[in-house]
Amino acid sequence: MTHTPPEHEPPHDQTPLEDPLTDHEYDGIKEYDNPIPGWWNWLFAGTVVFSLLYILFYHIGVGPSIHEQFEAETAFRLTQRFGKIGDLKPDAETILLYMNDPEWAPVGKSVYRSKCASCHGADAAGVAGPNLTDDLYIHVKKIEDIAKVVTNGANNNQMPEHGSKLHINEIVLVSSYVASLRGQNLPTVGWTADPGKKIPAWPAPPEPKADQAPEPVEPSPSGT
Amino acid sequence: MSQAETANAGGSASEGSPQPAGASPHLEQFTYDDGIVRMFTLATLIWGIVAMLVGLLIAMQLALPALNLGLEWTTFGRLRPLHTNAAIFAFAGNAIFAAIYYSTQRLLKTRMWSDKLGRLHFWGWQLIIVSAAVTLPLGVTQGKEYAELEWPIDLLIAIVWVGFFGVNFFMTLKVRRERHMYVAIWFYIATIVTVALLHVFNNIWVPLVAAGQPGTALGYLKSYPIYAGVQDAFMQWWYGHNAVAFFLTTPFLGLMYYFVPKAANRPVFSYRLSIIHFWSLVFIYIWAGPHHLHYTALPAWASTLGMVFSLMLWMPSWGGMINGLLTLRGAWYKVTADPVLKFFVVGITFYGMSTFEGPMLSIKSVNALSHYTDWTIGHVHSGALGWNGFMTFGMLYWLLPRLFQTKGLYSKKLAEWHFWLGTLGILVYIVAMYIAGIKQGLDWRAITPEGNLKIEFIESVEYLIPLYYLRAVGGGMYLAGVLLGAFNVYKTWKMRPKTYAEPVHTAPPLSADYTDAPAPKHRLSEHGHPELAKKVDVWMQGHWHRRWERLPLKFTVWVIVAVSVASLFEIIPTFLIRSNVPTIATVTPYSPLELAGRDIYVREGCYNCHSQMIRPMYAEKLRYGEYSKAGEFVYDRPFQWGSRRIGPDLHRVNKSYQWHHKHFEDPKLLVAKSIMPPYPHLLKRKIDWKSVPVRVRAASYLGAPYTQEQIDDAMNNAKRQAQAIAESIAKDRNKPIEEIQETQVLALIAYLDRVGKDITRTPAAEDEKPAEPGTDNAEPQGAN
Repeated sequence: MTHTPPEHEPPHDQTPLEDPLTDHEYDGIKEYDNPIPGWWNWLFAGTVVFSLLYILFYHIGVGPSIHEQFEAETAFRLTQRFGKIGDLKPDAETILLYMNDPEWAPVGKSVYRSKCASCHGADAAGVAGPNLTDDLYIHVKKIEDIAKVVTNGANNNQMPEHGSKLHINEIVLVSSYVASLRGQNLPTVGWTADPGKKIPAWPAPPEPKADQAPEPVEPSPSGT
Repeated sequence: MSQAETANAGGSASEGSPQPAGASPHLEQFTYDDGIVRMFTLATLIWGIVAMLVGLLIAMQLALPALNLGLEWTTFGRLRPLHTNAAIFAFAGNAIFAAIYYSTQRLLKTRMWSDKLGRLHFWGWQLIIVSAAVTLPLGVTQGKEYAELEWPIDLLIAIVWVGFFGVNFFMTLKVRRERHMYVAIWFYIATIVTVALLHVFNNIWVPLVAAGQPGTALGYLKSYPIYAGVQDAFMQWWYGHNAVAFFLTTPFLGLMYYFVPKAANRPVFSYRLSIIHFWSLVFIYIWAGPHHLHYTALPAWASTLGMVFSLMLWMPSWGGMINGLLTLRGAWYKVTADPVLKFFVVGITFYGMSTFEGPMLSIKSVNALSHYTDWTIGHVHSGALGWNGFMTFGMLYWLLPRLFQTKGLYSKKLAEWHFWLGTLGILVYIVAMYIAGIKQGLDWRAITPEGNLKIEFIESVEYLIPLYYLRAVGGGMYLAGVLLGAFNVYKTWKMRPKTYAEPVHTAPPLSADYTDAPAPKHRLSEHGHPELAKKVDVWMQGHWHRRWERLPLKFTVWVIVAVSVASLFEIIPTFLIRSNVPTIATVTPYSPLELAGRDIYVREGCYNCHSQMIRPMYAEKLRYGEYSKAGEFVYDRPFQWGSRRIGPDLHRVNKSYQWHHKHFEDPKLLVAKSIMPPYPHLLKRKIDWKSVPVRVRAASYLGAPYTQEQIDDAMNNAKRQAQAIAESIAKDRNKPIEEIQETQVLALIAYLDRVGKDITRTPAAEDEKPAEPGTDNAEPQGAN
């Protein structure tokens, strides 16, 4: 007998509670006529009031929309990231300047990791894209061509364009990072197509000018 | 409860009548149909085990992708819908039918109206389940969560639910001998009418075959929804969330209201609470769907409505919990001795927990962290395993001795073991998923002090593997408990008598001349209160509701009004306000090959692991690119925004052909720690060319502006585009082109290469302006 209660029920079950019963009975089920708990009423009313206030504040009042919050954070991050250097130019001089810059190389590397590594490999030895550590290049003849390939893509977009996705500084810094990989000459891992042609070594990096004191410049909000 | 009642569910003839037999000259005799309850009970158990086995398998696949055994039919993307559909519609579905058929007869003092309809309902439902189990692994799917079943099965569901189940239930109401409907019946009514509405309106489609003959047998089962993009997403989550509400909540509340007071032998805590929590739940639940689409391209007003109505749903849900738990007042000592009550107590507690967690997760800023993560998986399993599972097992153990007319369970001890294994299993499961979910959410938004992404996607996956094993341990414990239960059921069944007794009950029919009790007096002092206040006080005492409870038709109409009005407040603006979906001039229909590839994306169930919805958040912009806009999805039938990121977002996936080709061959070639399975069948099987023009024509019926030339040239256009991609891959991968030509992967690659790109095609892309819906005059893009 699993579910049969003991024959002599304890007294506290006999005359249960003094709550008023309704006269309802369905298949032996009765219902108390208990009031609704006060805390239930108040919390329910509280959620309704909160909801009205929420709508008033965010949709009629001054509350920022999700997109405004996003724009604000993007602008803040942009200043945080690039406020010191303003907009960079994707030319040879700038790419060379940032090639081994201890402060800015990590930014280029971070862009590389999230946008380039899945095809070119984490160590850039070429997986589903060409090896970037040797002297052979397909669409690059001069160092500034790296930025062009990153921006516009190449090989009928098999190297996808990133101009619409990256900030110009990200393009310059990732180009500097890619340029800095040259010379490691790692053996190619998975790239089986045309490895490209040997091109002349990069020009010597420009001397950092002493008077190039960083002036805070507002970077442009859009990409390129 | 006396022993006689326990033994055979009311053996005494007078039980059906509140008056002593013979008091009325018009007593009618009747019996209850318990055979149908036995059938649904057995089906519940069998499908429960199937659903959980599939769940355990796919849970393990996330840690060990090789567990699909290299077969296309057993990949995560195809089996996950099987798991969810089996758990919801087969396990929980059969359980609620068992509960409804058992309790309705007794609460209404009548046998079900038609034994035959009951059997048709049972076998029809099992046929639906078997069809699902066959078609889902074959990749026949609508690509919308919990609405995956394709159009012929949709029709079958409508017939079985409305024509067999609904008709039988409402006709039983008509022939009842109990004047008033108990609260359990209210919840059953809400379930039946609302599920019918949800199912019909989320499953309006154009079958492919309406546009011509597809080249394969499975092509005949394919359909496109009439809704696209944002509107499809809205309708889907209106459906999806209310499947939770009206398939997994209201019928189980009805179950609770019958079986908990029965098992505890205690009156229900509060009739008034029943009334107010029933109506508030039914009215408010239906609005809450858009909380599944926070931070997506859904308009902000809809997202906000989804959030605030979810918050307001907290107390209506807890009203059910209170009424369940407080019914046990004075009976708590029984819980220690009775596994049935243990299951009920823990089940109701999990209900309370998940209905607190649900509103919390619907708050936009919390959802920003939790969405797409395993937190959601933890949340639904505390509901499904804790609430639905435990209420079901509590009911089963209470029913067994009554259905099989035995003196008790075969083993109470085994039932206790089931309870403890299950409870611990759920805890292990959800704790693992909470840790996994919160960690993922934090990883995805982590930014270095320099403003760069801190953690790559695959790094966020690595951390999860041990937690996936732990989850499988929890799920395994739960399943082990269920298997003990199945053994117990079998052994109890073996103890049944040779023939089941069929006790005869008597009750008078409903007399035609019933008058309601007089309206109560107001409770205010006669002086100092306006008449209106007195009237309000009378109204507040719920006398009018008592009258409704004896008028099933009126009651049902009001339920329909409540759910329809709430639905239309969201549905009408979603479809009519043009600014909801600002048109983007450069967004054009898919090329024929891309369209065929998109259908492969749907077939493989990619949306089960990948989203196509980049949220407007800084970290997502860095990781995935520009956030997704409503106007980008106008040709997406079905929408494929997804709800989970087991893999990364794919809206702007931006990879080369050969990368995709290699990745489908074996993801580990490119991402060493990937948990995606290889898709070798895509690299072998050929494209169904014959179906390509049919797909284009069907899309054109639905409003995609293809020209007649484009439709006529669809097959050749697709072949040209596929050939170009094949040549590119053959060159870059150094492979003979014969191996690559015409394979299905080319269509899928074409689609992945296209998706999310239109917005950047020309500078005009940023020039968003509202325009006439469906009159995008830009030329569809052909192969290029």
